[in-house]
Amino acid sequence: MKSTRKDLGSYNLQVIETKKFRTLTMRIDFHSPIQKNEITKRNILSDILLQSTKEYPTKRDMIIASENLYAADIYNHTQRVGNYIMTSFILQVLDDKYTEKGNFEKAIEFLGKILFDPDVEENSFKEEKLSIVKKNCSVALSSIKEDAGEYAFIRLKEAYGKESPISYRMMGYKEDLEEITGKNLYEYYKKMLDQDFVDIYMVGDISIDKALSILKKQMKFRKVKKKKVPYEVEQKPLRKKKLIAREKIENTQSKLAIACPIKKAKDYEKNYPLVLANIILGGGVDSKLFRDVREKKSLCYSIYSSYSKLDQMFFIASGIDRENYDKTVEEITKIIENMQKGKMTEKEIKVAKEFYQTSLTNIEENPMSLIREYLTQALTGLEPYEERASKMNKVTKQQIVRAIKKVKMDTIYLLEGEKNEDN
Amino acid sequence: MKIIEIANLDKTCYQETLKNGLEVYMITYEDKKNYFISYATKYGSDILSFEVDGKLYTPPLGIAHYLEHKLFEEESGEDPFTFFSRSGTDANASTSYDNTQYICLGTKNFKENLKYLLTFVNHPFFTDKNVEKEKGIISEEIKMYQDIPDYKLEMTLRENIYHNSSRKYDIAGTIKEIKKITKEDLYKCYESFYIPSNMFILITGNFKIEEALEIIKETLEEKEGKLLPKIMIPKEPKEVVKKEETIYENIEVPKIGYAIKVPKSSLNKKGVERDLYLNMITTILFGSSSEFQERMRQKKILNDYDMQWEEEHSYKTFYFFATTTSPEELIHEIDYEWEHLALSKANIDRMKKVWIANEGKMIDHIEKTQANFFDDIIEYQKIIENRVPLIRKITKKGLEEFLEKIDLSNRSILKMLKKEEKE
Repeated sequence: MKSTRKDLGSYNLQVIETKKFRTLTMRIDFHSPIQKNEITKRNILSDILLQSTKEYPTKRDMIIASENLYAADIYNHTQRVGNYIMTSFILQVLDDKYTEKGNFEKAIEFLGKILFDPDVEENSFKEEKLSIVKKNCSVALSSIKEDAGEYAFIRLKEAYGKESPISYRMMGYKEDLEEITGKNLYEYYKKMLDQDFVDIYMVGDISIDKALSILKKQMKFRKVKKKKVPYEVEQKPLRKKKLIAREKIENTQSKLAIACPIKKAKDYEKNYPLVLANIILGGGVDSKLFRDVREKKSLCYSIYSSYSKLDQMFFIASGIDRENYDKTVEEITKIIENMQKGKMTEKEIKVAKEFYQTSLTNIEENPMSLIREYLTQALTGLEPYEERASKMNKVTKQQIVRAIKKVKMDTIYLLEGEKNEDN
Repeated sequence: MKIIEIANLDKTCYQETLKNGLEVYMITYEDKKNYFISYATKYGSDILSFEVDGKLYTPPLGIAHYLEHKLFEEESGEDPFTFFSRSGTDANASTSYDNTQYICLGTKNFKENLKYLLTFVNHPFFTDKNVEKEKGIISEEIKMYQDIPDYKLEMTLRENIYHNSSRKYDIAGTIKEIKKITKEDLYKCYESFYIPSNMFILITGNFKIEEALEIIKETLEEKEGKLLPKIMIPKEPKEVVKKEETIYENIEVPKIGYAIKVPKSSLNKKGVERDLYLNMITTILFGSSSEFQERMRQKKILNDYDMQWEEEHSYKTFYFFATTTSPEELIHEIDYEWEHLALSKANIDRMKKVWIANEGKMIDHIEKTQANFFDDIIEYQKIIENRVPLIRKITKKGLEEFLEKIDLSNRSILKMLKKEEKE
């Protein structure tokens, strides 16, 4: 496996050359500092680009074209990465060895058309296509409460702090949806192409020279850009008293979500001890939360914690019976406080390190995790995974305790199930 | 040992049957670093009653799933998760209608982990106390699903299709039923269905065949071969229970469920060929590149959908679930499509190309390969090694002949509307 990164002025190219996979994977990431009122537009734009091109006037034509390229998968995904919004266009297709010569380049050409030759007339996306994607978006926004766990998270983040990008709804907003027209969407498209930072990744049996020669032909990024805004979200001042927010829902189960910001952690702590602290706290079926809250107290089926370095935050989530709210929060609080007092065994630390090592080994087993790895390295200056393996093994208990002391329970959100059905 | 070459995919499956009837399937990948082990029984929630000592025995609903949870109890008090965690290995289990499987996914300690997986599944340890403890956890699991509208839609549709079949019940049972479960029930089911001739092992990834076999033999060969008990399969009438129904739920956008219950006796093919034919028909009719989908996009009435064929004892049942702003119109459109069944050669050939390419992508992933062959063993009692040639053999004429005999008359249609619309 050989990885090469090149700054080409208008975009960065990272080629991970390996014979490990039968597929070639390419991802194009567009990054720009996130603006709350642009999220919806961003979603609509990435959807409409996949609806049609000048050459393929309907979505059906588009899908048939990709099927004819030996089932080339082309899809997109928009997410928040710290202070940025990042839209990715992903292409995954079997290597030419398993299809026919030139198939990969044709697939890239197709993706190029999607990005650079959209189905527009007179500097405007077509209203007819726009209404299709707007309708889908509007239905998804209306159904937001159907995934109660996800909805609880959204509301937790809003309760935590409306001004923070952490609280932005990545599904978008109804009021912004209404404002979108074919014309202003086209302007936004132009802006994305001209001003966004672009990264291109390729994984598979391909050399950097071959990749460059294909991209030169098919991808026409021109502008040179420089990044200004940092990726890491700046933290708001801590609350003196915990905020507890509640909302009722017509469900049988209640969803508990907790935000725990991390105060003034050093880079080393963010990359090492805090990662282990999260695994020990709620990273899996052998974690403290799972053991105590689920297995010992039978309070829930699902409970876990997660750690976002760019948001400088631990999140905890569980599905509980509303009568057990106090008991559950008390239990979780006790677990965190005990960890802060040093109550964790060397065995637990060793297990957490083992899970971390497994995750490092698995990076090379999947093209998308390789891409995620190199993206994280580029954004946060994280050391290469080969180096992290030995560094993580040297983390001491003292360092973990010191780091978790910086994790503060700040906002608790309960989506309270009102139905009581023991059928 | 049987050597099965998987046609067109450059992969080999090694198969061995132990003296007691247990089957072992192994697929190795030298270029990967991870491995995936499943130890499974062909016992799931499908088995409602069976004979024990000459008497008919009907355990509470949801017992197979409950049993899966409780096998993680060890006499030593050590949780299996703790064992696997020591080497950073992920372990899990799942129950479905026709099987229960215990898995581990790791990158090291292969031999120890394999031995442990087989050993813990082979050593049930149920006490009144540990059986009682699980009731709270599984109740929360059941509630978690019950709150999901899509789940409610599917369960209601199942009740409307099946009179007596096990497929009308939730795999996890109901809270009322699981509260009745005792350790005696668990032992009875365990002794009857966790027997070598009803179980199998499937391993995919980086490991040595000889080492795996040695461990399997030394751990399992002495396990006594027993015969399966007599199982009562309820007689399921041809007609659906309800042809249509409307239910009202706490949702914003309506949903529909559309099912066709097809007697297997009306199909002129069996096994994997029959399933390929059925899937080909519905992919062409309703898949992402179908004319139907394009029409629905233009009309903007299909916002999200999912379809599948279910394998029941005597029936193949087609399910189509959708979120739609126009339930009536959508149902009419689906009916129309079935009535005007049109399969062009171009569409068939393109789908064949797509399916063959997808087989190539599948074999690249350990998890996908594992899932694919696992399903083969459950559905067809063997690994399907000639799927690519079978796909190549599908013809327009063959499909038309297949369609001539098919009985599509038993449909059940369910609408789920917003509660406020009830008044």
